Amino acid sequence: MKEKIAKIIEQAKLAIEQSDTLALINNVKVKFLGKNGELTQLLRGMKDVPQEERPMVGKYVNEARDVITQLTEEKTKQLAQAEIDEKMMKESVDITLDGKKTERGSLHPCTLVANEIVEIFTSLGFTLGQGPEIELDKFCFQMLNIPPDHPARDMQDTFYITDDILLRTHTSSVQARTMLNTKPPIRIICPGKVYRPDDDATHSPMFQQIEGLVVDEKVTLCDLKGLLETFAKRLFDSNTKVRFRPSFFPFTEPSVEVDLTCSVCHGKGCRICKGTGWIEILGAGVVNPKVLENCSIDSKKYKGLAFGMGVERVAMIKYGIPDMRILFENDVRFLKDFK
Amino acid sequence: MKVSLSWLKDFVDIDVTVEELADKLVGAGFEVEEIIRSGENMKNVVLGKIVKLEKHPDADKLQICQIDIGKKDMVQIVTGAQNVSEGDLVPTALHNSLLPTGQVIKRGKLRGVASDGMLCSGEELKLSEEDYKGAGVYGIMLMNGEKFPLGTDLNEIFDNNDAILDISVTANRADCNSVLGIAREIATILKKPLRMPYIGFNVNKKVKVGEIVDVEVKDADLCPRYMAAGVTDIKIGESAEDIKKRLKSVGLKPINNIVDITNYIRVEIGQPMHAFDKEYLQGGKIVVRRAKNGEKIVALDEKEYVLNDSMLVICDESKPCAVGGVMGGLDSGINEATKTIVFESAKFMRDNIRRTSRTLNLRSDSSFRYERGIDLDSQRLGLMRALTLIDKYGYGKVADGVIDRLAQEITTKTVVTSVEEINGILGIQVPDDVILDILNGLQIESKLENGVLTCVCPAFRDDIENANDLAEEVIRLYGYDKIIGTLLVGGNQTLGGKNAREKNSDIIKEICVSQGMSETLTYSFTTPKCFDILKMDENDCRRKCVKLLKPLGEDLSVMRTTLAYSMISMLASNNLKSNRNARLFELANVYIPNATSQNELPDEISSLVLGCYGENEDFFTMKGIVEVILKKFGIKAEYRRVDMTYLHKGRCAEIVVGNECLGYLGEVHPEVANYFDVADRMYIAEISVDMLNEIADFGYKFNPISSYPPIERDIAIVVDESVLAGDLLKCVRNGGGNLLVDAKIFDIYRNESVLGKDKKSVAINLVFRLADRTLTDDEVNSKINRILNKLIGEFGAVQR
Repeated sequence: MKEKIAKIIEQAKLAIEQSDTLALINNVKVKFLGKNGELTQLLRGMKDVPQEERPMVGKYVNEARDVITQLTEEKTKQLAQAEIDEKMMKESVDITLDGKKTERGSLHPCTLVANEIVEIFTSLGFTLGQGPEIELDKFCFQMLNIPPDHPARDMQDTFYITDDILLRTHTSSVQARTMLNTKPPIRIICPGKVYRPDDDATHSPMFQQIEGLVVDEKVTLCDLKGLLETFAKRLFDSNTKVRFRPSFFPFTEPSVEVDLTCSVCHGKGCRICKGTGWIEILGAGVVNPKVLENCSIDSKKYKGLAFGMGVERVAMIKYGIPDMRILFENDVRFLKDFK
Repeated sequence: MKVSLSWLKDFVDIDVTVEELADKLVGAGFEVEEIIRSGENMKNVVLGKIVKLEKHPDADKLQICQIDIGKKDMVQIVTGAQNVSEGDLVPTALHNSLLPTGQVIKRGKLRGVASDGMLCSGEELKLSEEDYKGAGVYGIMLMNGEKFPLGTDLNEIFDNNDAILDISVTANRADCNSVLGIAREIATILKKPLRMPYIGFNVNKKVKVGEIVDVEVKDADLCPRYMAAGVTDIKIGESAEDIKKRLKSVGLKPINNIVDITNYIRVEIGQPMHAFDKEYLQGGKIVVRRAKNGEKIVALDEKEYVLNDSMLVICDESKPCAVGGVMGGLDSGINEATKTIVFESAKFMRDNIRRTSRTLNLRSDSSFRYERGIDLDSQRLGLMRALTLIDKYGYGKVADGVIDRLAQEITTKTVVTSVEEINGILGIQVPDDVILDILNGLQIESKLENGVLTCVCPAFRDDIENANDLAEEVIRLYGYDKIIGTLLVGGNQTLGGKNAREKNSDIIKEICVSQGMSETLTYSFTTPKCFDILKMDENDCRRKCVKLLKPLGEDLSVMRTTLAYSMISMLASNNLKSNRNARLFELANVYIPNATSQNELPDEISSLVLGCYGENEDFFTMKGIVEVILKKFGIKAEYRRVDMTYLHKGRCAEIVVGNECLGYLGEVHPEVANYFDVADRMYIAEISVDMLNEIADFGYKFNPISSYPPIERDIAIVVDESVLAGDLLKCVRNGGGNLLVDAKIFDIYRNESVLGKDKKSVAINLVFRLADRTLTDDEVNSKINRILNKLIGEFGAVQR
C-alpha cells in the first residue's frame, strides 16, 4: 500500500511538472484529488485494508494529499503569474509616446513680469492701486505739477479725446487719485495700460507701466533706493545692484533714473546693456511737495516716494525679446514659449 | 542742445578730456547723447609743398611729385591732376591716411612708379567752395597762401579738433539751453570760475535809438519785457569765419551777418532775438499786442497764418510784422538792401508761445527756446552781446541808447529751509560746508545760521522753489552714490495684498491657462470699420465709441467697445501664419462713452474674450471652457439662442444669469471669417468680468455625502427636432424634485423612417437618491411618471 501511495505521488509529481496551462493543472487536481480521484479511490478501498493497517494507510493518504495539494497550488500560482505576465507583455505600450492631456496655455510675458513685480511689492505691504485709462487732464497732468502748456508736456505726447479728457500717458495718474481719497500711510503698486503716440521697435502706442507710491512720515531717498534694491534683487538675482542718476520728472524732486546691473552680463558689458553693464529700468524720486499739497496731503508731515517702470521693457530684458512689436503680434508659437 | 567744446571754453577752463566731461555732466543730470568729433573722420592728411614735378615715364597723364612735408625726406606721390605746379601748397594724404569720404590711402605703385600717398581735391576732403576758397575747383585743392608750417595736420589748419556735445536738457533747466548755461554747470562741476561773455562796443552818439524806433507794449502780461536797440549803416554780407564755423558746428546754417548774430546770441546766451528792417516798420513804431481774431500774417516760411486774440503779435503802426517769439513776417526781415535795423530782445511767456505755436502748427528755434521759459535778465545780456558783435565785426553803427519796456520789477527769490530738512529728504547727513559750497557754486547765494539755510536764487534758476529742489541740487553734485539703501526704516507698517476683484482676475487667467488658452495683448484702440466688418446693425449701441482727436492712423482711431474684433483678428492672423490650432484669451477693458455727457469719463468695463480654432474645436469645446469658468465663480447660467450679427445663426448663445446677459459665445459668422480670409471655423466668447465679479459666489459649503444607494433609470422620449436639450433637462429636474440628484442626456438618435420627420429620440439617464434612507421603487416610479407627464405636457414627448 505504501508503495502504491508513493507511486501515486510520483505520478502526480510528473503530471504536475508536465502541466503548462491552468486547465491542465486543474485536470491533474481532479485526477488525483477529485471526487473520483486516485487518492479518493484509495480511501474508498479502505474497507479492504486490514483493521490494524487502516490508521497507517489513512496517514499516508493524507500526507500524499497534502503533498499533491501543495504542489498543484504552487504550480497553479506559478502558471497564473506567468499567464498575467504574458498578458501584460502583450499589452505593453510605447512609453515614449506623448501623454494624453489638455496642454496648458500661457500667460503673456508682460503679465508674467507684471505679476512678479506686483507680488514683490504686495509682499512688502503694498496694495494694488487702480485708475481709469481714459483720464482727466487734471489727474494725469495738472495735479502732478504739469500745468497746461508746461514744457514738461513735451516729455510725453498725448492722445486727447477732448480738451480735458485724454488717454493717460503714465500710471502716475493713479497717484493723484489715490492720495486724494486715502489717508497716509499709503503704499500702492499700480499696473496698467498707458498710451503715447509713438510706434517703432522700442515704442508702442499702447504699453503697460507699473507705478509705485509710498506716502508716509519720515521716508527718505535712501528708503527709495533700499526699496528698489529689494525689488531688483528679487526680480533678477541677489547680486543685482542699483544706481541712481539725476533726472527730471515734474512730480518728483529730486528725480532719478534708476539703472540696474545688467541681468545678462552682470555688469561686465554686453549687447543688451550696450556695453555699459547697466540697464535703465525705472524713473523714480521723492514726490514733489507741491503734488502732495495738490492732493490735500500735508507736505510738512508726510513725504512721498514714487517710481515707475515699463512692463514691456522689463519683459524684453528678462526674456531677451529683441523687438517690442513681437509682444503685440500674439503669434501662438511665441506665446507658448511662456507656458 | 548741441554745444561745442571750443565755445564752452570761452566761458570756463576745461582741463579734463571730453569723455570725462561728458561723464561728469551725466552725473550732474545732463545726459550727453552723443559726442561728435569734427576731426575724427580725417587722419594723416598734412600740408605739403610740391618742390619738383616730372612727367611719368610710362603714362602721359600722370605726373610724379616730390612733396616737402617739413621733414628731411621728400614724399613721392604720383598724381593724375593737371592743375598743380611746382611751389603749390597741397593737401597731402600720406601712407595710411583716412579721408572724410571713408577712403583709406596706402602706399602703392602707379605704372611702375612708387607713390607714397595722394594729393587731395576739395571733394575728397568733403569741402565746398563755401568752406574753403579753391575747394570747388576740378583737380587738387590748392592751399597757396596758408601760413601754417609744412607738415601741419589739416585738422589743425581747419581747426577741426573741436568736439560737439549733444546734451539733452531736462524741462526744468530752461537756463541750460545755452552755451553759457552749460558752461555755468561745468564751472560748478569742475570748481572753476565762470567768465561772463564780453560786453563792450562803440556807440554812435549822433543817432539816438528813439529816432529809429519807439516801442509800446500793450499786453505786458504776455510780454513782461521788450528791449530794442538800433543799428545804422548796416552792410549786409557773409558773417566772419569764426561765427559761421560756430553756427555750423551746432548744426545751424549761416544766412547773413545780421541773422547769424541773432542765432549766435540765442545759442550762446539763450536769448532769442529778432532783427527788423527799419524801413518795414511803418511809423517807426513797434506795438506789442494781442492779435485780432482773424488777423492774418504771411510768415518767413511764406505761408499765411490766421491769428486769434490769444496770440501775441509784434506790429508797426498798421500791420503785424511778426508772431511774437515764433516767427517774423515775410517782408519784415533782413534783405540785401537793409540799411538800418531794430534788434528785438524780449521775454514772451512760455505757455502762450507754446499754445500759439501749436495752434498755428508753426515752430522755430526761437519758439522752441521760449517754450522752455526764459528769465528776465537775459534780454539785456543778449542785446548787449549782439551789439558787441556788431561793433566788433564792423557790421554797422550802434545807435545811442536802448529801449527797455519792463513791466515788472526784477526780483530775486529766497527759499528758507534747514539743513535738517534737506538731509531729511535725502536720508543721509551731508556736511554743512558741502551744502553751502555746492549751492553757492551754482550762484544760489546761501547762508547758514543756526541750522536755518537761506538761499537767494538767481533769476535764471526760477525752477528752484522749495527744499526738495535744493536737496536735488545738493545731491546731484554731491553724488547719488552717497545714497545708501534702507528699507522704509521710518515708515509705518501696512497690510498690502490684492482685493477680491484683483484676485478674481488672476483666477480667470489661471483657469484659461489650464484650459490650454494663451493670453494675448492687443491695442485698446481699433478701427471704426470694425463695426461694419462685424456686420453690426446701424443702431447697435457698440457703435457709439470714444474717438481720439489725433490718432496715429484711422486703424487706431477709436477705443474698442467689444473685444470680439481684436480676438477674431488675432485668431485670423495665427491662422494665416499656418498655425494649425490656437486657443487664445484676453482680459481687457472696453470703453463705453458716457451716455449723458461727452465731458464725463467713459465707463471702462473689464471684459474677457475667448477664442479658438482647430480640428478638435467646436461650439461645445468653447462652451466647456465658459462652463468651467462660470462653475468656478459659482454661477449657474442659462444658454439662450440669440441673433448676433457676427456669429453663426445656429451656433451662438447668450449667457444669461437671472435676467441679465453675462455675455455670449458662438461660432464666427462665415462671412466674417471670409473677410479675414480664414477657411477654418473660429469660435469666440465674450464675458463681462465686471458682472462676473458682482454675481460671483465663492460660498463653498459642506454637503453631507449620502451613504444610501442610488437608483438609476434611463428614459427615452421622442420630441420635435426644435426642442432644446436644456429645456428638456430643466423640465426633467423640475419633475424630479429633491429625489433627482442628477440627470444627463447620453444619447440623441435621429431616424426619419423610425421616428418620423424632424423628430429625435433623446435618452436621459436619471439618478435618484436620498441622504437619510434608501429609496423605494415605488417612490422612484412615481417620480418618473411625473417627469414623463411633464415632458408630454410641455413638449408633446412620446415615450419610446
